[in-house]
Amino acid sequence: MKPLLRIPLLLAYLTGSILGAATSSRATDNVVKIGALLPISGPGSYFGVQDKQGIELALEQLKTGVNGHKFEVQYEDSACSPLPATQAAKRLLDQYQPDVVIGEECSDATLAVMPLMDQAKIPLLNAGSSSIKITEPGNPWTFRIMPNEVMQGVDIATNAYKRLNARTAVLLNENTNAGIGNAKVFADTFGKLGGKILEDIGFGRDINDFTAIATRIAGLSNVDVIPTYTLEGQGLKITEALAQAGIVKGGGGKAIQLGTIWLPFGFEQKAGKAAIGYIRIVQFDPTDQRPVVRDFIKAFKARFNSDPTHLNAHAYDQIMLIADVVKRGAKDAQSIRDGLAATKDFSGVTGSVAFDKTNQNVKMDTVHYMETKPDLSWESLKWN
Amino acid sequence: MSDISRLKNSRPALAEKSVTSRRLWFLVAAITIALLPLILPSSYWRTNLIVCAINVLLAIGLDFVLGYAGQLNIGQSAFYGIGAYTSTLLIMKLALPFWVAFALGVLVAGTAGALLSLFAVRLRGHYLAIASLGFAVITYQILLNWISLTQGPLGIYAIAPPPPIALPWLPRIVFTNLANLFYLTAGFALLVYFILDQWVRSPIGEALTAIREDELSAESLGIDVPKWKALAFAVSSAVAGAAGCFYASFVGTLVPDAFVITESFSILAMVIVGGMGTLIGPVFGAVLLTILPELLRGLGDLRLIVYGASVTLVVLFMPGGLAQAVHVIARRTFLAGAKIEIHS
Amino acid sequence: MLTIVLQQGINGIVVGSLYVLVALGLTLIYGVLVQINFAHADIVTLGAFSAYLVTHMLSGNYFAGIAAALMVGAMLGWLINAGVFAPLRQRGSELLPLIATIGVSIMLQNAMLLLFGPIPYAFDTPYSSKVIRLGSLFFTLQNLLIILVSSATIVLLYAFLKFTFLGKALRAVSQDRETAALMGINPNFLIMLTFIIASALAGMSGALLGPVLVLTPFAGTSVIVKAFAIVIIGGFGNVEGTIIAGLIVGLIESYTTQFLDPGLIDIVVFALLLVMLALRPTGLVAEKRTENV
Repeated sequence: MKPLLRIPLLLAYLTGSILGAATSSRATDNVVKIGALLPISGPGSYFGVQDKQGIELALEQLKTGVNGHKFEVQYEDSACSPLPATQAAKRLLDQYQPDVVIGEECSDATLAVMPLMDQAKIPLLNAGSSSIKITEPGNPWTFRIMPNEVMQGVDIATNAYKRLNARTAVLLNENTNAGIGNAKVFADTFGKLGGKILEDIGFGRDINDFTAIATRIAGLSNVDVIPTYTLEGQGLKITEALAQAGIVKGGGGKAIQLGTIWLPFGFEQKAGKAAIGYIRIVQFDPTDQRPVVRDFIKAFKARFNSDPTHLNAHAYDQIMLIADVVKRGAKDAQSIRDGLAATKDFSGVTGSVAFDKTNQNVKMDTVHYMETKPDLSWESLKWN
Repeated sequence: MSDISRLKNSRPALAEKSVTSRRLWFLVAAITIALLPLILPSSYWRTNLIVCAINVLLAIGLDFVLGYAGQLNIGQSAFYGIGAYTSTLLIMKLALPFWVAFALGVLVAGTAGALLSLFAVRLRGHYLAIASLGFAVITYQILLNWISLTQGPLGIYAIAPPPPIALPWLPRIVFTNLANLFYLTAGFALLVYFILDQWVRSPIGEALTAIREDELSAESLGIDVPKWKALAFAVSSAVAGAAGCFYASFVGTLVPDAFVITESFSILAMVIVGGMGTLIGPVFGAVLLTILPELLRGLGDLRLIVYGASVTLVVLFMPGGLAQAVHVIARRTFLAGAKIEIHS
Repeated sequence: MLTIVLQQGINGIVVGSLYVLVALGLTLIYGVLVQINFAHADIVTLGAFSAYLVTHMLSGNYFAGIAAALMVGAMLGWLINAGVFAPLRQRGSELLPLIATIGVSIMLQNAMLLLFGPIPYAFDTPYSSKVIRLGSLFFTLQNLLIILVSSATIVLLYAFLKFTFLGKALRAVSQDRETAALMGINPNFLIMLTFIIASALAGMSGALLGPVLVLTPFAGTSVIVKAFAIVIIGGFGNVEGTIIAGLIVGLIESYTTQFLDPGLIDIVVFALLLVMLALRPTGLVAEKRTENV
């Protein structure tokens, strides 16, 4: 090639690549920006770390985009607490300007950021906080796909009374918003049905040894069920202590531990025989045979080399639901909000999604009951 | 010999600070406060500014009892929480007007501080430190467990910002506007700073310094040590209580976890990093330790490691804190003979 | 009812020994240095993780894990002394080292968070699931191991302090640093030694406590403040006092859980602390120090 021709060609090439790079980074019209308010630092990072995995898997599967739109996520650390969550939310809203936000995990943090989202007119999609206060007031910009404390509590208390014939219960809960809230709903429902709450024992999150609490329960006669509301760290210690004290089935006793969604699959392997007979609500049923669940488990295992937990599943569903809304034609904050509100039959890995007029997902197939079998596997009880 | 006296002795004698130069610095401070929300118009940064203002209040309050009176009070989080909960509960349960509740919150916090001081009147050094820590733990646990009163972990929500102020010659000042809220909190902090500054230069300050240096000798000089200690504690906790009232009406959400004892350590770090022997030091410390974690957000997982390292390094290499650093830099920049006097 | 009361007594002693193990190191350091190492409980946590790694990931034997934890603790103690306490010693401040160690604590916790993540580890040992039953009373073999090892450690520590030359030198330094220096003892060396011993102890405690704690990088925060309270209630720098105080706090915890409410544990313990400070600030066991006139 003549040397003189090379220079203009080089210039054309350079200009072309610069223009190409510039336009692809400015293609914001076709990118749906998802803000993620998650606890990434401190003890709350237990949630954030797992949420991120679910989000990453979903984003990878959505790489080619939906309806001409691609997805992008920006994480901000809300630390599971009102003030840091407020600061993180403002930073997200001011600097990233998302079309939709997912988060938070802890009810106090979620309640603190809801007014900000409302003011900014950005939809907030929640899958981690159980407090009824999040949806009860009927905020048009807040959506929740997980069953709230009332849905879960009424259901499990009723099932305990009717299916398990339980008449007495001892409540065990961590002294947090979610722990106290959930325990209260159980107590109210169980009481109304005619059951008796023998004791309501709340404990701080800094307790490591539960033998004293187990001993106290051992001193009560005739305990049928022990609803336990705590995360897996303390949950493990409680189950072991209850078994050692001979209270629960796993320790040769008669009481059945009941729980809600916080204990992941894999808990049994850590707790061993002590967990036998444990019945609980899970948000994610790994024995679910629906193709979307089987595919999810396979993809997650391939990517992360471990079984997915409910936290991974929730986060995955949040992204997939947003993708579904985009498929139905939404592309910005307002249309995403409207699309979410109109959701009537989305099928996620945690169950179906249909929002009522308070934007709470009312599908009870998100409430799965599992029992720990003697071989430490899960049996789905199909109560819903 | 305590840190502060060693610091003061090592600094060369400065010319007597004139009243005009101090007034000038206050003017500069006021103008800076006025300009900041205009330079930083985003909601995110204005939020950070308000948090700075609240932390400045907490830091100067602590410095008064710690740096000037020499009392190792590390239970600030208790008074912070008492102020926040008292004012909020009075507003929500008894429908008291905001500023009445504010005043009562400050009063209750101050009284609690005075009581702690009277209880701990014979304690010194690490004993007092742990006693104040114990008090802070008990207060936190009460806030957490007395659910019928405080809602505990369930939290109090939808706390309103201070009500609008209608001054005859200005448009209504509404506090949902973050800039206005910043002016209110920073203005209050400046006022408190001014008052404390006057006090430390007055016989009050001398009495407290005497107690800090040598309690026994101070007593023998006729200083009523328990009374002065109680005053120092009361003032410090009242200021923390005021910060708490602002916190509640700013964040809008109140949970006991905002007042765990690690908050006390954060405030303590602000005072030490800023420079304990001065009143301006804690202001620097509060601003730095509030803004630094925000600036470090880009670092993701490394953020808090860098934060911890910064605190340790400052303490190791700059024991007089930022105030000392600023002083050293200022002296080197403005060589002897310059007319500008360093305000410290 | 009697069984319950007895069982809670056992539970209290078990939890108490947990606290004693953590507090012993703190009290040693305080006795010699009159300083609080806020990062102490994080050394315990790191010891627990070290032992876990050796036992579960390198398929070592549990005792190898304990040894590893001991060494990690010792190293960390040496580092913290060299990096923080020694440089600040000349300044004679009570607060600066405390703040510096708070910074170290934040760094350690978050470094562990990066390395190990926030999900709790289930640290099983051959002893943690074996339960010993005496009638209707029970405790695990791990708990028994904790009690035995802490007792052995205390006896050894005592012997060391009372009968060996280094031990006596250490006591000399804690009583009067200047005079000790005049007598040919190098206080800096001894302080370093104290730190290493105390932190090795902390690391080892971590290895023993790992199976009992909810093992996350934040496990230290759940015990550190109570450990301080115990050191004060027992008397700063006083080993016997710390032991008695630790056991008392453990018993308070279990009996409060039984008869009141677990949520009130901290209130009762710290109310006791405040009462002690008001009535007898030098602690349960009066210090044997005499003031130089």
